[in-house]
Amino acid sequence: MKIEGEYTFDGPREDVWKLVRDPEILATCMPGTQSLRLVGENEYEGEMSVHVGPITGVFSGRLVVSEEVPPESCVLTVEGKGKPGFLNGTGKVQLSEQADHRTLMTYTGEVQIGGRLAGVGQRMIDTVSKSMIRQGLGTLNEAIKARGVARADAKEVEYTPPSETKFAAAVAKDMVGGFLSSKLIVWLVLVLVAVILVIVWLNVK
Amino acid sequence: MPNKFIGKRIVRNEDPQLLTGQAQFVDDVEIPGMLYAAFLRSDYAHARLLSIDVSAARQRPGVVAIFTAEDMGDDWQPGPPLVSPPPTAKDVIFNSRRQVPLVKDKVRHAGEAIAVVIAESRYIAEDAVEDILVELEPLEAVVDLEKGLVAGSPLVHDDLDSNLAAHLLQKKGNYEEAKSKADLVIKRRIVIDRGAASAMENRGIVANWDAKSQYLTIWDTTQAPIPIRNGTAARLGLSEHQVRVIAPFIGGGFGPKMMMFYAEELVIPWASKRLARPIKWIEDRRENFYATTQERGQIHDVEIALSRDGHILGLKDVFLHDSGAYDPYGLTIPLNTQCHAMGGYDIKNFTTEVSVVFTNKTLTTPVRGAGRPQGIFIIERLLDIASKELGIDRMEIRKRNFISPDAFPYEHKIIDQAFAPLILDTGNYLPVMEKALEMIGYEEFVKNEQPRLRREGKYVGIGVVPFIESTGVGPYEGARVTVEASGKISVVTGIGTQGQGHFTSFAQIVAEQVGVPVKDVRIVTGDTAEFHWGTGTFASRGAVVAGNAIHSAASIVRKKILELASKVLEAPANELELEDGLVRVADIPNKSITLGELALLANPLRGAVEPGTEPGLEATSYFGPQYGATAFGTHAMILEVDPETMMIKIKRYVTVEDCGTVLNPLILEGQIHGGVSLGLGNAYYEQLHFDENGQLLNASFADYLLVSATEMPRIEVGHFETRSSWNELGTKGVGEAGAIPVPALFAQAVENALYDQKLEILEMPLSPNRLFELLHKEKSQ
Repeated sequence: MKIEGEYTFDGPREDVWKLVRDPEILATCMPGTQSLRLVGENEYEGEMSVHVGPITGVFSGRLVVSEEVPPESCVLTVEGKGKPGFLNGTGKVQLSEQADHRTLMTYTGEVQIGGRLAGVGQRMIDTVSKSMIRQGLGTLNEAIKARGVARADAKEVEYTPPSETKFAAAVAKDMVGGFLSSKLIVWLVLVLVAVILVIVWLNVK
Repeated sequence: MPNKFIGKRIVRNEDPQLLTGQAQFVDDVEIPGMLYAAFLRSDYAHARLLSIDVSAARQRPGVVAIFTAEDMGDDWQPGPPLVSPPPTAKDVIFNSRRQVPLVKDKVRHAGEAIAVVIAESRYIAEDAVEDILVELEPLEAVVDLEKGLVAGSPLVHDDLDSNLAAHLLQKKGNYEEAKSKADLVIKRRIVIDRGAASAMENRGIVANWDAKSQYLTIWDTTQAPIPIRNGTAARLGLSEHQVRVIAPFIGGGFGPKMMMFYAEELVIPWASKRLARPIKWIEDRRENFYATTQERGQIHDVEIALSRDGHILGLKDVFLHDSGAYDPYGLTIPLNTQCHAMGGYDIKNFTTEVSVVFTNKTLTTPVRGAGRPQGIFIIERLLDIASKELGIDRMEIRKRNFISPDAFPYEHKIIDQAFAPLILDTGNYLPVMEKALEMIGYEEFVKNEQPRLRREGKYVGIGVVPFIESTGVGPYEGARVTVEASGKISVVTGIGTQGQGHFTSFAQIVAEQVGVPVKDVRIVTGDTAEFHWGTGTFASRGAVVAGNAIHSAASIVRKKILELASKVLEAPANELELEDGLVRVADIPNKSITLGELALLANPLRGAVEPGTEPGLEATSYFGPQYGATAFGTHAMILEVDPETMMIKIKRYVTVEDCGTVLNPLILEGQIHGGVSLGLGNAYYEQLHFDENGQLLNASFADYLLVSATEMPRIEVGHFETRSSWNELGTKGVGEAGAIPVPALFAQAVENALYDQKLEILEMPLSPNRLFELLHKEKSQ
């Protein structure tokens, strides 16, 4: 599976780079990451829980950062395996400075998946992975913005990473979004409310 | 004398039991003290096994044992060869590499079993599987057939020089010479991908070694219990009489449940003997997608040489066949492809060369059709192309090439799946095709209906495809028929039953001979304790081989009944008639005796059984055909294609089948319906997608599309009976027939529907997506 895309951060490149290279921040930005430990130079180990449709489970794996050109680019290599199968991937991340202290991240990668994740999750994997990347980068951006605000106000950085449930809910919403338009959801809710009201009314009578 | 029972539309004896949930399947077997197994399977398609640590798993409460290849010691042996190896001859290469009970050194396909956990419940066993730590070093996978044969490719079996599993070249006449005289030579590449058999019931096995009686009982979802019994006894060092294999009711076989000696069939009986406990393993659907064998998967480079008037001068087919990780089933599938690539046509010059390739995928073994649909697809596609190029009507070009009815028995002059020369016993193709044309109203449709619908902007197409099917191959089957004191008849045979209606069609054969109602004939199949000899249910051979063995045994019992009754009733045997469980003198209807009374007389409590005779009204007989019987038929369909969504609606579906003597039209039609549904799956829905690492990408019924009731057309079945001249009943097989011509038929009908598009279908299965891509590709070129 090929992964590619871009994202614009609301912060300078140096900030983005620092955060990307900070395992604690990185861990909060990768949905489902339970821990991420630095075990060697540019090498991390950690656990990540995965939810792809009917497939859930914990991956344990390694993340290696190589070919580092601070603050411009690096290559990330991921290896993970667990109950849901396995995942191996390599991705190149590039950061370029934009006007207004913004930073454009472009990423391209190749991911190999296997086991249950490939056999049963194939249909969802594309949507889920794209959604996870977007959620993750969104969170990172929030952290960067928080840092920017803190700096301007000369205060401590206040940033609360979203909980795993919040991530899961966001991913689920992304998946549903493919099937239902928001207009339709409004209608569905209205119909449901009407049905509940009718039932309540009948019971009261 | 006209038949009373054979050929009659009789409702099935077994249905009340099946429909009320009273039939026993393997998973219904419950034994006190039974343990449950779960297998650790590889997520990787190709990987070196570095280490397994089962210590944590062993600690889990409820886990009784965990076995790895190492734990099996000297009992770890690959499975036996499942068919005779090909003869050692010039032009034949065969590298036998058979499946292993548990992975020892290297994983060769995703889903291959690495270890087994035996526990107090399946839940515990499954949890313990996840406790096992296994270290696998992933290797580059062999997935693509052509790349697999390129020098330097990774090897599925490290001890071989290449991934070539087998090579076989067969020649009839001289193709090159024929080609030099041809007016038209057509060359194409045809690709046929893999599908699953998708039986409703997955595999399952219960093994119970009783240490006190030194007896092993196995309930197995196998189509071939006797070979499983023989092989298991040999592997475990037991007498064949210490092992009983029972194949109870089975929810569909379709080939992958033949005598496969799957890893689970090798491991579970062994573990039961080792632990002296009954053990059950029931496959789940995901396991079925990885561990149960599959079929199709061939790439053909074909060439046909024709004269201007549409006569086929010669055919050449050079193809690759995907064997998967091992090749225990030998060359059966590619040989069937070679045998059917000429269809029912008189082709004097034929060269066919196959290279079988090991890949890091699940094994291929016969699945309903077994190589035949590929052969028929090739020749029928080529004839469709030839018809367009030569401007000859597509039905006419077929008629011109049919083997003429007076040419039978017809020597095809290439060897078949049994390594015997393929000889077509009987055939009469033209009337069968004409009947199909008439039933579907071909003339009227092409002349009036289709032009009218096209003017309305509809894309409707018609297809008509004839085919042959070699069926009913040896070696033999047997049966024992007994008249019981109740007057009812007991019949036992060695083959298994997976829904074919044997309890009815076989009963009809016996009822015909001994004159009892069909419901009074009790059939036992698939229990080695009941019948000791035989092979199994596959290759469309039940009605031919077991059917004729039963017929033969019943005929002998009839003779015994008449001899004894002649003495008792004091009338010559030729004046006696058998009806309604009675023997009576034809002219004096009240002078009669029941079969039950006769059975008692034949098995007296006092007196003596005369020397040279046997007690009872019983006979055992065997039937072993030297050659198979070749059935044939024609399928026709009218379909409509939605040009925007590429969704297909089948408007009419007609089949005319000639499978010799029809035993029961109701059962026969059921077989055809089932076959057609798989055929449609092979044509437009069912495809197993593997990625370049050998990962199966659609291992669930959410993604692997089976044909459902909404896609199935109403099928009109016409019959034709050309009795096989090589067996007494005149039967030919029909179990696979329904599936064989469908992909070729579908392709023809779709091309015909999309008449204004440049479209040539050279691959199967298609899908709405793929059809859209093909049309788009043609447009963009």
